[in-house]
Amino acid sequence: MLGIDSFPRSIKQIQLLCLVPAAQKLALMFLLAAVTYGVTGIGAMLLMTLLANTHLGKDGAGKHGISIAESSRLGGVAIGIIVIVYIAGLSLMSPYTSGPERDVTFLYLWSAVLFCCLLGLAEDVKPDFLTPKLRLGAKFAVLGALFWLSPALIPLTVGVPAVDFLLNLPVLGWVLVTVFAVGFINALNMADGANGLVPGIALASFAVFFMEYGRPMDGALMFACSIFFIFNVISGWYFLGDTGSYGLGAILLGYGLLGVADGNFSAGFMAALFCYPCVDFMVSVIRRFRAGRSPFAADNGHLHNRLHQLIRLRVRSSVMANSFTGVIISVSTSGAVLLIYVVGLLPPDSDLWHIAFVVECSIYLASLKYLTSIQPKTQYADVG
Amino acid sequence: MRVILYFIAAIGLIWVGVLESASSSVEDFKRYSDAHVLDHGHGSIQRVLAVGLVGDLVVSKIISDGRDTVIIEGNEEFSLPIPVLSESAGISR
Repeated sequence: MLGIDSFPRSIKQIQLLCLVPAAQKLALMFLLAAVTYGVTGIGAMLLMTLLANTHLGKDGAGKHGISIAESSRLGGVAIGIIVIVYIAGLSLMSPYTSGPERDVTFLYLWSAVLFCCLLGLAEDVKPDFLTPKLRLGAKFAVLGALFWLSPALIPLTVGVPAVDFLLNLPVLGWVLVTVFAVGFINALNMADGANGLVPGIALASFAVFFMEYGRPMDGALMFACSIFFIFNVISGWYFLGDTGSYGLGAILLGYGLLGVADGNFSAGFMAALFCYPCVDFMVSVIRRFRAGRSPFAADNGHLHNRLHQLIRLRVRSSVMANSFTGVIISVSTSGAVLLIYVVGLLPPDSDLWHIAFVVECSIYLASLKYLTSIQPKTQYADVG
Repeated sequence: MRVILYFIAAIGLIWVGVLESASSSVEDFKRYSDAHVLDHGHGSIQRVLAVGLVGDLVVSKIISDGRDTVIIEGNEEFSLPIPVLSESAGISR
């Protein structure tokens, strides 16, 4: 039992705790989780906090993207646990039948997602456990099998006549989509270098899918990504890791392709929604080729690295500079597409979305050119 | 040991949202099949506490879209009213 004297002491301890920045961040994260998702949000936030503090999957300071603090790579694991608990519970206690039980296409898709998650998990738990070539080969094998078994995922028209012609050729269409799919997952993994960047893109995308289809799976993914986004942006203690970026990449890829194949979304809409990771990947590969380096070697020449350099000079907190970078990019690309979709300015199946994609690409290239011109050349980030 | 308890507590709290979503969904189907009354339970204090302000919108959308899905797919098994449950829940036909 607590004595009467211990109460003022406890209050003083709480007051002292409130002055600790980590405690302030935790309080803010839990408050936002409670307001947005109630008791469930608090539970998800507690789970993420616990996983972030385990020794498993720890990244040393400066090892991940532009982060300079020690952090955990188990963000994808946390998202996975939350989604599994939610969907399993809903399947058991309500008339909801999950996609893999309903439709064989979803069964194959989720099997591929699971495989991609396991591939990433091996890397998160034990870095360099698998060689890059083996990982790339495994992704080609799994995604190739997915599109071979589920040709319904291959869109037959994307609004570009030459591409449409190639996609309609049986084997070539399959090869093209498999190469694109592996590139997309790698692009999302490569872009996961700033707080809130990939989680923000994933959150906006799942919000679009949820509003369009209303599937509980999309709702659960949106919920888990929202909590992760809050945690990632405020604290910077967490990253998606390879589990998260491979897993979310595979889900977004599958849902995106299915949406285009079914005619609910235009290819231009998906290109605009996922503009940043795709364009950044292409530009990075070209940049490295021109510099005579391996196209897959990590460097600091991404737009988010350049933007971070600029923001870091103006913001004192390193975590906030990192988070501002990620949030600015995700909000101005996928967030803008979400806003246009919600407002109803353009229908999602309109081919005018190609114009939005071209505008995004132009802004990307102009920003990269400007930031490169005002910043000194680094060891890696040299644009030819 | 304490960490395991915290993990259990975290899963338990998430389960509150699962229960709220599932029970709202089941209740909605009963009401709909019994009386064809559209009642979302939208914004009730219990649900807002369980799933929050954004979660409330998510659950409402899942319920309304799920109802359409079941009806479109002709899932008569679930749509059939259970008289005993309907009476005990105080739902008039």
